[in-house]
Amino acid sequence: MQTTFKSSKWLPYLLLSPSIIIVFIFFIIPGAESLYYSFFRLNITGTKKYFVGMNNFVRLFQDSEYIGSLVLSFSFTVCVVFFGLGISLAIATVANKKLKLFNVYRTLLIWPYALSPAITGIIWALMFDPSIGVITNILERVFGITFTYFNNSTHAVIFITITATWKMLGYNIIFFLAGLQGVPGEIIEAAIIDGAGKWRSFWRVIFPLLSPTTFFLLVMNTLYAFFQLFGLLHVVTEGGPGRATYLLVYKLYRDGFISMNVGYASAQSIMLLIIVSSVMLLQFKFAERRVFYGT
Amino acid sequence: MRISRKSWSNFTSHLVMIIVVFVVLFPMVYALTVSTQTSKEYFRFPPRILPGTGSPDNYRDAWITGNLGRLLFNSSFISLTVAVGKIVLSIIAGFAFVYFDFKGKTFFFIMILITHMLPLPVRIVPTYMLMTHFGWVDTYWALTIPFFASATGTLLFRQLYMMIPTSLADASRVDGVKPMQFLWYIVVPISKTNIAALFLIEFIYIWNQYLWPLIVANAEATRVIQIGLKQLIDTDAAVDWNIVMAGTVLAMIPPLIILIVFQSSLIKGLSLAEEK
Amino acid sequence: MSGSRGKVVEALVESFNKEFPAIKVEAVYSGSYAETVTKGLASVKAGKPPVLLQSYEVGTQTMLDSGAIIPVYLLNKGEVDFGDVVQPIFKYYSVGGKMYSMPFNSSTAMLYYNKDLFKEAGFNPEKPPETYDDLYSIGKKMVDTGIAKGGLSLGWPGWIFEQMHAYHDQLYANNDNGRSGKRASEVLFNKAFGVKILTEWQRWSKDRVLFYGGREYSANAPFVAGQFGMLMQSTSSLGGNIKKSNFDLGTAFLPRMSGYPKGNSVIGGGSLWLMKGHSDEVNAAAWKFLQFLFRTENAITWHKGTGYFPVNNKAFEALIEEGWFEKEPRFRTAFDQILSGKSTVAATGVLLGNFVQIRDITQTAIEEIVVNMKDPKAILDDAKAKSDQVLKDYLSMVE
Repeated sequence: MQTTFKSSKWLPYLLLSPSIIIVFIFFIIPGAESLYYSFFRLNITGTKKYFVGMNNFVRLFQDSEYIGSLVLSFSFTVCVVFFGLGISLAIATVANKKLKLFNVYRTLLIWPYALSPAITGIIWALMFDPSIGVITNILERVFGITFTYFNNSTHAVIFITITATWKMLGYNIIFFLAGLQGVPGEIIEAAIIDGAGKWRSFWRVIFPLLSPTTFFLLVMNTLYAFFQLFGLLHVVTEGGPGRATYLLVYKLYRDGFISMNVGYASAQSIMLLIIVSSVMLLQFKFAERRVFYGT
Repeated sequence: MRISRKSWSNFTSHLVMIIVVFVVLFPMVYALTVSTQTSKEYFRFPPRILPGTGSPDNYRDAWITGNLGRLLFNSSFISLTVAVGKIVLSIIAGFAFVYFDFKGKTFFFIMILITHMLPLPVRIVPTYMLMTHFGWVDTYWALTIPFFASATGTLLFRQLYMMIPTSLADASRVDGVKPMQFLWYIVVPISKTNIAALFLIEFIYIWNQYLWPLIVANAEATRVIQIGLKQLIDTDAAVDWNIVMAGTVLAMIPPLIILIVFQSSLIKGLSLAEEK
Repeated sequence: MSGSRGKVVEALVESFNKEFPAIKVEAVYSGSYAETVTKGLASVKAGKPPVLLQSYEVGTQTMLDSGAIIPVYLLNKGEVDFGDVVQPIFKYYSVGGKMYSMPFNSSTAMLYYNKDLFKEAGFNPEKPPETYDDLYSIGKKMVDTGIAKGGLSLGWPGWIFEQMHAYHDQLYANNDNGRSGKRASEVLFNKAFGVKILTEWQRWSKDRVLFYGGREYSANAPFVAGQFGMLMQSTSSLGGNIKKSNFDLGTAFLPRMSGYPKGNSVIGGGSLWLMKGHSDEVNAAAWKFLQFLFRTENAITWHKGTGYFPVNNKAFEALIEEGWFEKEPRFRTAFDQILSGKSTVAATGVLLGNFVQIRDITQTAIEEIVVNMKDPKAILDDAKAKSDQVLKDYLSMVE
């Protein structure tokens, strides 16, 4: 550690206190309470409370809806991360040129970052609207495919995957570009002179240098797919048709705030805590160097 | 005439980029287009993608039915307050971590880091109960105060301050500069780029929040624009896509402006954060 | 409320505020029906309940058990004659002959159809289908000739499923649908009748006769765009559908399945509950507002603007007198349907604890059956098990 102001003993505590108080009241206590409530069943107005032990968790794993939601969330996340990172990396590689106009392209590409999942959902719902949507019409006229996301489970999942992936493109592209700009030009040139083909030199030389960026984005996109898409679901699919788009966060909301099953919802919160902690642990283990999280 | 390989490759790159930009931005352009069409213009087969003649009406309808003026104000107020609050709290926290030695430093640091493990869904029911307990439901308090702490911001500034040369603080101390003066006159100005980057990120993050406002802010007085859009699209008859899109366009303008204004800082802020 | 109905609500509120400047009523939209109920109850816990809460029919039992409401009959000092409430509506919202909440937006389900498509398919547009078989053959022809993407769609599918039980005089839950004086502890929708209905719907869906259009009101959009010929939907969509459709829109009774007894279509929609926790003065003001809504001319405004029933008989008579139904016969269909039905126990309406969740369960089950083509019996058995668990949990809390 570097120079310290030793003079004041109380000042650092004072400076930290606002953050610490907020973290304590709004994060740590409620987090602990989630754990506490997960062992209880409460009535709808919260006036009665029964201890049920592990019953909420046992039920969770007997609940086909929860298991379905778990499997869906994981596979959905894998798709969003895979396509999102793949497409963004490809775009970033092409966009990484020191030409004047390219600054303009880059600026424009980041725009979707400003949109919320809810807004993104609304716009894509319009484009996929069965009667007037531009994409559904093209699919129907050109390819003879009738695409109805509220009427076909597969279509619904494709719909939310495309929408969710698109929304993150801007964010991913910024980071890949930043990463690529950190790769010295000589290295790229050396690789090309070396006789390695462009494709091979990319994977063998540049991609490894990008791995911190890639890993960071992997974590961010995973958390995004797990936790931030509630708005998209609430506005557009409402988890349906059936339970086709019932991601974990949506189920949590339905059980906690529509059915008002406080104990059961809290148990789901604890499951989410386990998921997020595992992702975080991975991150601390493999990428301590990275500190920028973006939320 | 010979076209050099380089300019040919530049041409293809431009072409590829133009297509890519078009595809990425198309949804936004389409939203804008539909927001200008009358229901006759958009409600037909096949859809047209040229601007129409309904914009003043659509925007007025959206503005009035959705009470969007109020909702946009709420979203702006909340996003600005939280962004500023987070920046202030992160700067002083980052400053405390770098320039002071005190008991419990590691403990407090871990405590702030732990917030990363507690995203809203993990503590949503108890946090909501807390709001009802405080009487904060349907108030700005619920939408702002719980968000003031920022692990991201604290880490970002801590990282930055660790890079400020020791000599600077040494010299100041010798000159008898008080810690808070040092913070205000030296540290804050150095943080400008990071402040801008953090402002951008947090403003957009709060503006785009959905789940929390849905739960704690039902009254019109505190409702945010994202929920207002859901209200526009929730209808008993066919969705008025043109009006919904007018609302959508209005809802995406503020964060877009912030993004465009602070974009360069974001990239600089990022590269700063990357260095060790 | 949202959409075109929301505008009518606002207009009513505005005219009330003009008439009673001392009282200020503010209509607050708090999300979907399901969200309104839970948010309302949550705000009771928070000590900040709304004065009046509009809950949909599914919230009724929960509201009754919540301990957070004041039954409206207690406020009535003779200003309102509850005997004047249209009978089936009165029955739905009363317990032991006493009115607990004020009916406001009462609807039922009926059949909407596109007369232009009927003509195109070679059917008499003045002869809507009366049975499931008719409906199927008309829909099939529309699909086969390629003039439409489907024959029929459903609004609020879970609710239509409940309607079908009542319409064919079949109980949906035990203890007389939870109205025998004992709360329902078991649902009965997985019996032969429920399975039969959903097997039919599934067959229609396989043959593309049933175009599944999503929950609540989302099927209205493709219907008014002319994508399929028929729609079973709440009467409350009538105003909006007339305005939006550019074809000749017809209305008819719900088609029946042959071989089952006759019941009646059931009341849906919502009512206004007076919440505890306010001063007598506020309660009195709220009661003024409820009287205002009940008043003949306002009930008429509400009905004309939306398609919901005018809840009192006087308003209905006034509408007849002014010749409204001759001018707008489509607004009469639902009345005729509900007044021509048989008023049986099964047709009075289901009361279930935490019905919000059970509706969601059946809704999902229906989607599994008609969209994902899963086995109706197996899915309904599973839905029953889940629903019974919900009821068991609910009863363990209130009894």
